[in-house]
Amino acid sequence: MQIRDYIIRRLLILPLLIIGVSIVVFALTRIGGSPIGVYLSHEMNASEVAALEERFHLNEPLVVQYWYWAKGALSGDFGYSGVAAAPVSEVFWGKFAATMELSVFSALIAVWLGLKLGVFAGKRRNKWQDHLTRIVAVSGASLPLFWFGIVLLIVFWANLGWFPVGRSDADIWDSIAHPTGFYTLDGLLAGSIPAFLDALWHLVLPSITLGFGAVAIITRMMRSALVEELQQDYVDAARAKGLPERLVLNRHAKRNALVPTVTVIGLTIAFLMQGAIAAEIIFRWPGLGRWMADAVVRGDQATIMTYVLFTSVLFLFANLIVDIVYAKLDPRVRLGD
Amino acid sequence: MAISDNAIPMSARQVRLRRWTEIFRSLMTNPTTALGMIIIFLLLAMAIFAPWLSTPNTPDAYQMPRDWGATRMPPGTPNHPLGTTNQGGDVLYGVIWGSRTSLQMSLIVVSVTVVIGVAIGSIAGIVGGWIDETLMRIVDIFLSIPELIFALAVAAILGPSFTNIILSLCIVFWVKYARIMRAQIILIRQADYVQAARVMGDSRLNIFLRDILPNASTPIAVQATLDMGNIVLVGATLSFIGLSESGIAEWGVLVSEGQAGIASGRWWASTFPGLMIFLWALAFNLVGDGLRDALDPRTEGR
Amino acid sequence: MTALFSISFRATLGAATLAFLLPAIAAAQETIVHGADEEPATLDPAEVEPGEGGESVIFHVYDRLLTVGAESSDLVPALATEIPSVENGLISEDGLTYTFPLRQGITFHDESPFTADDVKFSWDRVIALELPGSGYEILSERVAETRVVDDYTFEVTLNDVDASFLYSAVLSMTASIVSQEAVEAAGAEGDGESNGLLSDNMIGTGPYTFESWNRTENMTLRVNPSYWGTAAFDDVRLEFGLDPDVRVLGLRAGEFDTIETDPSYVADLEGADGVEIYAEGLLLEPLHIGFNMNVPEGALPEGDTIPEDFFKDVRIRQAFNHAFDYTAFVQGALAGFGEINPHYVPIGVFGYDPNAPVYGEQNLAEAERLFREAGVWDEGFTATVVVESGSLFEIQCLILKDSIEAMNPDMRINVLGVAEAVFDEAIASETVNYAMWAKNGDPAADPIDYLMTYAHPDGEWGEIHGFRDAYVNPDQIANLIDQIAVELDRDTRAGLVGEVQSLLYADPMWIIGAQEGAVTAYRDDIENMVLQPLWPRPSINFAILDKTGG
Repeated sequence: MQIRDYIIRRLLILPLLIIGVSIVVFALTRIGGSPIGVYLSHEMNASEVAALEERFHLNEPLVVQYWYWAKGALSGDFGYSGVAAAPVSEVFWGKFAATMELSVFSALIAVWLGLKLGVFAGKRRNKWQDHLTRIVAVSGASLPLFWFGIVLLIVFWANLGWFPVGRSDADIWDSIAHPTGFYTLDGLLAGSIPAFLDALWHLVLPSITLGFGAVAIITRMMRSALVEELQQDYVDAARAKGLPERLVLNRHAKRNALVPTVTVIGLTIAFLMQGAIAAEIIFRWPGLGRWMADAVVRGDQATIMTYVLFTSVLFLFANLIVDIVYAKLDPRVRLGD
Repeated sequence: MAISDNAIPMSARQVRLRRWTEIFRSLMTNPTTALGMIIIFLLLAMAIFAPWLSTPNTPDAYQMPRDWGATRMPPGTPNHPLGTTNQGGDVLYGVIWGSRTSLQMSLIVVSVTVVIGVAIGSIAGIVGGWIDETLMRIVDIFLSIPELIFALAVAAILGPSFTNIILSLCIVFWVKYARIMRAQIILIRQADYVQAARVMGDSRLNIFLRDILPNASTPIAVQATLDMGNIVLVGATLSFIGLSESGIAEWGVLVSEGQAGIASGRWWASTFPGLMIFLWALAFNLVGDGLRDALDPRTEGR
Repeated sequence: MTALFSISFRATLGAATLAFLLPAIAAAQETIVHGADEEPATLDPAEVEPGEGGESVIFHVYDRLLTVGAESSDLVPALATEIPSVENGLISEDGLTYTFPLRQGITFHDESPFTADDVKFSWDRVIALELPGSGYEILSERVAETRVVDDYTFEVTLNDVDASFLYSAVLSMTASIVSQEAVEAAGAEGDGESNGLLSDNMIGTGPYTFESWNRTENMTLRVNPSYWGTAAFDDVRLEFGLDPDVRVLGLRAGEFDTIETDPSYVADLEGADGVEIYAEGLLLEPLHIGFNMNVPEGALPEGDTIPEDFFKDVRIRQAFNHAFDYTAFVQGALAGFGEINPHYVPIGVFGYDPNAPVYGEQNLAEAERLFREAGVWDEGFTATVVVESGSLFEIQCLILKDSIEAMNPDMRINVLGVAEAVFDEAIASETVNYAMWAKNGDPAADPIDYLMTYAHPDGEWGEIHGFRDAYVNPDQIANLIDQIAVELDRDTRAGLVGEVQSLLYADPMWIIGAQEGAVTAYRDDIENMVLQPLWPRPSINFAILDKTGG
């Protein structure tokens, strides 16, 4: 089918999938927790609790409950988080910005290192460098992030004292405004080099932890894409024409190989989202991941629900974009299921 | 595969057997995959021979033995080559018996998820129609939720225990197999020889067993191998976050409990179990990768 | 030239002044960073739960009528200028009315003047609001009436004679004095609902003012320069949400000056660079495992094979007490910082009798005999103990597990470690769905608090756990404890306490593993460190600590 039809079809399915995920999430809370647990806060008295039951129709059949829960969610009410001692919607964006900033820097590391390694290996297919790179890359994917983070923490924080934990120094944080929630950006916007550097310094260890894990995904893709490119006819032709290897590689092969590599963005985002949980715990990063880890252990249903919903929606969109790009490149995909 | 003039036509089974032998050979010649195979072999040996390598604790071998008179000993102490934990547990014991725990976890989850996934995928593929649509939508929905996060949420709901972690992983990890199976069914169903067989009256079940299942076994084997590694990784993460039981010989729990020593320079209680998780996942990932490359028609023969 | 001279002269003078003041400025700007365990849920004395994180903050920002000093458990005047007693006539002859003369010329942090109206307002508020989870019963059960005699005299009449009133009620954080003006300005209160001002704002008279609170992150307290008593030296920042090991790491790295920790971590810090250890005395929080005989039908966790009333049999309770490996707990888990005192009147509390019998040593032979007699030896049993995971209490449970399971492989203990919040919920309800749970007792200076809460058949845990049906002679114990509650003569009282200790030995409702040592670790540039178990956890008074910035 045409690319346009493909896009439309995927776009139509998307909301259905989101609804499906929301049903799964809703079912989880009904199975495990108390229906009212999502909205309850310790400060409520009996009449408020009754009002909640009324508003969300908690005494009626499940389907009705789901409807009112979904309505509440769409209007921004995701319940009350016991862990944060505040409504989920109030604290969500602050923590999201924290995780986002960490993910962006981790992605930068992953992309930089991943592309370098992928090219390095792709050029030397099946030689020992290729095998070594593969091991390094697969190592990144096999690393228990929580363990890797602890090791970095011991060496660079406890023993060497080069890097701090947490997201920022309290006094420096107080000294500037935070319009974007991205501390590096905020520092630049406020023209404060100390603030910028402070934010950057706090980012180093967690980004390395998280980024190294994601390297594997990108390396693997870049390598195989490059290998495939180098086997194309035009490469032979260019070489026959006498073009220097470097030019063939840099101007053509690498650039072409980048295109399919873009498709692993979906996987990388998924990896970063999940890896952030462990990284944020170890480095005391006040983001969504750590919030979720606390929520899971303390039975904070509202947070768990919101987090699962949010990451799934993000994941779906990322995959959608990636699939569309991929479909544009490879017509076979559109015809298939 | 050259066919000489005198070649005896081989049965389908022989063809498949030769195929697998070739795959195995190509795996062993690839150095990274060979490395993975060796590590797996060692880990499996450790898990199977655990009771002989390290005397089981009584009454429950999966409880770390606690010796309050010998806590926090460094590696190299007599009787404790890898040191002891804060609770006087022998780290080597944890490493060895933890491999058993990991083997149990991964085998159970992979077996269950393959069976469930294959069953559901087969039903969807064979029966077709709205059952197919519904089941596949469910699969799509499950696949929309990142695995670790899904497992985390389910385990949180079920409550902290080792069994619940296994249960949670089973609930989350079956979907890929369903999708693979169904895709295989649809693919092969359209093949000429299968159409021919149907015309000749061959039953669906026969076709399924003879043609579809064996062909599906290859991508499923790849996924299962990767999952053997990934499951232990995810399970250990869940344990680390706090969804398992304390004091058991499980690598994730040991890393979590070993953290307390790190601040004071006692790195061994966390490092060795964590290293094991890494090696386990690494080995299965290497082999799984190799398997996938060997089986992927596009890269076959490279 | 002259102009230049004078400019440079002034500059020099200015610089010299600055240099002179700099140490003072630098000293005033020191902030003591404390690695805390629990983040406060609320800062309102009428709302705070006794024993939770908010109490320490309340301790520093609010004052009470009386307090205890660092050296001993003797009462010290605070907002009241004298300690009421029968001798000085400030306790009436019938023992029911207490008169507190108040300190004059004190202002709250918002500059409103402190008078007896504020005391009455603070206490009445607690009693009237009855906020769930708070310590309102500390006052409401004792106080019949509060009265303002004049601006600087406050009077309380009790419901009954109460020998523990001063220690248990007046000292408590719940009885802190807040600013009536500030609270009333923020809105009406009533119907079990506060106006919310004090939950995250603090207007007190204490040595610290409340500056800011970044939820899940940290809280900052500033020195109150116009404090009526000895001013504090340095500001304080409390950092929350840290795992115990992160706190220790942070202490070593110099990121924290003081931390909340327990003995098992402190042992590792001995000899560490820049770290000092304080280890003196014992905390007043016995580490205990409770027996619950009041489990609802079918409510025990799956896997438990015991009947719901398993622990009614006194032999079984005694056997558990004999089986526990006390030495392993104190030496191994507490690293030697603690003492074996399986008794519900902690060492250091008035009336503690060192000659009373205790389960100080593991006696497996006796335990086995008792289990056999009770008829559970052959079949064995499986029971679950619920506890906060990752805590010292969990270690105590593991030791119990090992002790019991080593005796007989058919006797199994499951240690169910759950998150703190989950644990709190599990034991907060009217009935507890587990046969055993582990934690420590809340500290108090008066033995009656321990006895009423943890021993009396109709006391707090007595009711929840069903002591009355389980004690061999519940009335004997009840009467003895009731006497202790009202006996105002110290010597007689001490004797009674010793007597009840012996009774409780024969009929134990708890396994008390040990009494934890008062021990902490801190950076060596902090002076005047002292722990006083009667101060809210972490038992530190930041106002007396001086960070020399070395």
